[in-house]
Amino acid sequence: MEKRVTFGKWTIGILFAVPQLLLIFTFFYWPAGQAVYWSLTLQQPWGGGNIWVGLDNFRSILSSADYWNSITASLVFAGISTGLAMFIALVLAALTDRQLAGSWLYRVVLIWPYGIAAPALALAFRFILAPEAGFMAVVNQVWPGVWDPGLDGSDAMASIIIAFSWKYVGYNFIFLLAAFQAIPRSLIEASAMDGSGVLRRFWDIQFPLITPTIFFLLVINITESFQDSFGIVDIMTAGGPANATNLMVYKIYSDGFKGLDYSGAAAQSIILMLLIVALTIVQFRFIERRVHYR
Amino acid sequence: MTIIKRGFAALAAGALSTALAVPAFAEPVKFDFWFGLSGDLARVVDTLCKNFNASQADYEVVCTSQGNYDATLQNTIAAFRAGKQPTVVQVYDVGTATMMLSGAYKPADKLMEENGYKIDYSDYFPGIARYYATSKGEMLSFPFNSSTALMYWNKDAFAKIGKAEAPKTWEDVGADLKALKDAGYDCPMAINISANESWQLMEQFSAIHNQPIATKNNGYDGLDARLEVNKTKFVQYVTDLKKWYDAGLIKIKSKDLGQDMVQSFATGTCQVIMSSVGDHGTVGKTQKEGMNWDVAELPAYAGTERKNSLVGGASLWVLSGKSDAEYKGAAAFLNFIHDPKTALFWSTNTGYIPVTKSGFDFMKSSGFYDKAPYKGREVAIASLTASEPNEITRGVRLGNFTQIRAEFGTQMQAIFANKVSVQQGLDTLVKNGDAILDRFQQTYPGKTLP
Amino acid sequence: MVERTPILNFFTHLVLFVGFVFCVAPFAIVAIAASHNLKDVNDVPMSLLPGSDFWINIKTAWTTADLGPKLLNSFIMAFGVAAGKVIISALTAFSIVYFRYPGRMLIFWLIFITLMLPLEVRIVPTYAVVANVLEPYQAIMDLTGLSWLIEQVSGVRVTLSLGLLNSYSGLILPLVATATGTFLYRQFFLTVPDELTEAARMDGAGALRFFVDILLPLSRNNMAALGTIMFLWAWNQYLWPLLITTDQSHAMAVTELKQLIPNVGGAPEWHIAMAGTLIVMLPPLIVVVLMQRWFVRGLIATEK
Repeated sequence: MEKRVTFGKWTIGILFAVPQLLLIFTFFYWPAGQAVYWSLTLQQPWGGGNIWVGLDNFRSILSSADYWNSITASLVFAGISTGLAMFIALVLAALTDRQLAGSWLYRVVLIWPYGIAAPALALAFRFILAPEAGFMAVVNQVWPGVWDPGLDGSDAMASIIIAFSWKYVGYNFIFLLAAFQAIPRSLIEASAMDGSGVLRRFWDIQFPLITPTIFFLLVINITESFQDSFGIVDIMTAGGPANATNLMVYKIYSDGFKGLDYSGAAAQSIILMLLIVALTIVQFRFIERRVHYR
Repeated sequence: MTIIKRGFAALAAGALSTALAVPAFAEPVKFDFWFGLSGDLARVVDTLCKNFNASQADYEVVCTSQGNYDATLQNTIAAFRAGKQPTVVQVYDVGTATMMLSGAYKPADKLMEENGYKIDYSDYFPGIARYYATSKGEMLSFPFNSSTALMYWNKDAFAKIGKAEAPKTWEDVGADLKALKDAGYDCPMAINISANESWQLMEQFSAIHNQPIATKNNGYDGLDARLEVNKTKFVQYVTDLKKWYDAGLIKIKSKDLGQDMVQSFATGTCQVIMSSVGDHGTVGKTQKEGMNWDVAELPAYAGTERKNSLVGGASLWVLSGKSDAEYKGAAAFLNFIHDPKTALFWSTNTGYIPVTKSGFDFMKSSGFYDKAPYKGREVAIASLTASEPNEITRGVRLGNFTQIRAEFGTQMQAIFANKVSVQQGLDTLVKNGDAILDRFQQTYPGKTLP
Repeated sequence: MVERTPILNFFTHLVLFVGFVFCVAPFAIVAIAASHNLKDVNDVPMSLLPGSDFWINIKTAWTTADLGPKLLNSFIMAFGVAAGKVIISALTAFSIVYFRYPGRMLIFWLIFITLMLPLEVRIVPTYAVVANVLEPYQAIMDLTGLSWLIEQVSGVRVTLSLGLLNSYSGLILPLVATATGTFLYRQFFLTVPDELTEAARMDGAGALRFFVDILLPLSRNNMAALGTIMFLWAWNQYLWPLLITTDQSHAMAVTELKQLIPNVGGAPEWHIAMAGTLIVMLPPLIVVVLMQRWFVRGLIATEK
């Protein structure tokens, strides 16, 4: 997307970007650059030395069937949880924006999930989703054995999707609400005068106007579901059962952070990064076209 | 907590007298100690640190919990690479091989010698010392929190099937579980099959039955060691566990499913578990009112010449690159930890066992094992010292063992979910585990374990 | 609303109420857990009737983890991160959207890629940078021979060193260095009508004037949303503060929770842990309430 009207002195323009460029160079690209170097070597964790192995790390990762399972699991996870979190948040934000009585309460509380601390998330969802405790125990009593995330991979996957989507409903809700609220009341009222109903107005006026935010959230949600999921996996399933929830980022975390295989983890990071960049480029090319910026 | 208080009073008095004796111009030398325990255990470590600081005026240890073992090791490495490492760090048992190859430590035995402390290394229980020592027997780190696995059994339930003693063989266990089931117990025994249970299920079992986990004497003799659990007695063990699970005699219990193994036992839901002696206190504190239970050594198959079980826990490493003054402090700290009185304090407030014979004797003589909440914990010492550790039962020294344990959890889950047969699962465990070992070996070309 | 829509209104209330219950339930479970004693909290299933130990547990958690000063530290850190993001990303997005210069898209993508490698995954090299922030610049000077040149000319060996361990800047800056905000502002700036820019330019306003007087006030809703989210995100950071702060005076509330979370083999004191968690979660939830006041109705009538 391009602006038609811009300011002339681009030298000043660049100055505006300098603070962030300095920050990301120092705290992101420099360290990440080291990770790239590590991916081409076998790195001793304590810094005792390393040997150059070229692309061997990539070769051994990509030739492992477990890793391809991990990629599939990540894609499934990202697709479903992004869809769920965005759809639910969109419904909730649109309804809250109608500003019926009590909407102030919803405006506050529906953001809270994003503010939950990891230990609280673990305890609460254990209570809700554990087959022998709380809510799902009741379901299992009616249909014995239907819910078993301990040994059934798809149940475990469903658990982490529910927990992640729940958290990101809060995230999406606040941005969508901000976007809805930014739509001038006068526009909607004018349309109501013309006699169009609530649903019509939503599709004709409100939805097009929030597409820039929806695009933003789509990209961020997909990215975060690849990135921000390792905490939830670590707490809830530790990648199990039998690798069913071993998402790419969790594998990086467990290989690198727990297993001290810095080189393998670095190579996996780069593969993950390339995958997300590719997905993002696709979104910018094909979905951004449908976004109404003005 | 009375013991803490009493200890405090005594130490405070001691500190006061030294403060009066020494002129106040010398600031104590500060040094860092990072550890990986949380919850009530972290509070006990903090008290330990305070006690050390109060016991003398020359050094001040600054103790920081890093939350868990993984984070402690990772953060220490990050700090070491930037030259900001702590002086003393707690590293868990399976990190020992990585530490030995790191070149980042100061050997503990040398440190003590240089600073004039005489440590009698033969005082350590051999099963504990040799787990952490080099293959030649040098102590590069000092054992700290230590435990071993025991069988917890519900006396009330066993009384119902006419048994007054815990089963000693796995054959008996099978029969007893069947009897418990027939007597109406829904969950005769609970196990968990995640990565961490490799310790109870694979490592302890192999040591007690004198079965190797890997070639090269479980890795002590070289980085080219490879797993061999797919052709030892362990295969039969997993087959039996799976058989009992299929027959409903064993249930899988874990926190993710709602109730962990220890709680399932403490509430009387399940009648037998295998867990660390460290959970002895927890069971006592959270047990169902009036429930009678006890601990016993882990069973062995009939006809096995029983060997010692393995220690688990962590040891204290002193890192390189610090000043002489800090090393003096670290030596004093290790000496303080080594003291039998500290052992008593430590075991009273945690479920961990003493690591030295003199600590154990001191605790016995002070009547520790006679009283209710601690009675039974001496079984752990009996289990650890069941035999003189041999080349196989002294421990496991494999690179990246954390990842091998993770692979153990993955394959056990696949086996119990009927995705693969027992033999297939263990073969995959060996194959993937060997790939991890292979990678570890390649990372350290030309290096050998000390 | 403009017209009467009783059925839709009922539906709206129903859906929002269900959403409300789903959002609050986990927090309620935590609060209930915090009111039990050691035995009850470990019961399966845990009783949903509150126990009687709530205030005792809160007090125990507060004193054992010494949460008072830690909450203040957390607040400073989270506020710093949120403010830093809100300001710095706005500047960058302005540069990218409102100026046309070579490499503009490159800059956008360079910033965007920072979303794709979480801090936890590159924690070891990032720590090294924070231990000496000037390390990259020293390395560049050494590589380019600049240090050598300076040494030849002045006889001084340049060693740049600035450690940020155990400091607020060390905590905050690496967390600010990501792209979420820049992307959000870009999306919003692109919707701002060109007519506004033209009018401003006609009035003789320069880029800075336009940015401060027109663009920022218009971005109010987005700033509030971004600020809130970043505050919550920074508040709940765990691994990074744990590594960077070894000295108690800089410890964060969330990292101090580890003092309360039961260790494997330790006593399962989940009631205390949850009481502590509840205390630690409270400030960000209050921030959410306060930030609501920033949300305003749209002011610009965009032409469709």
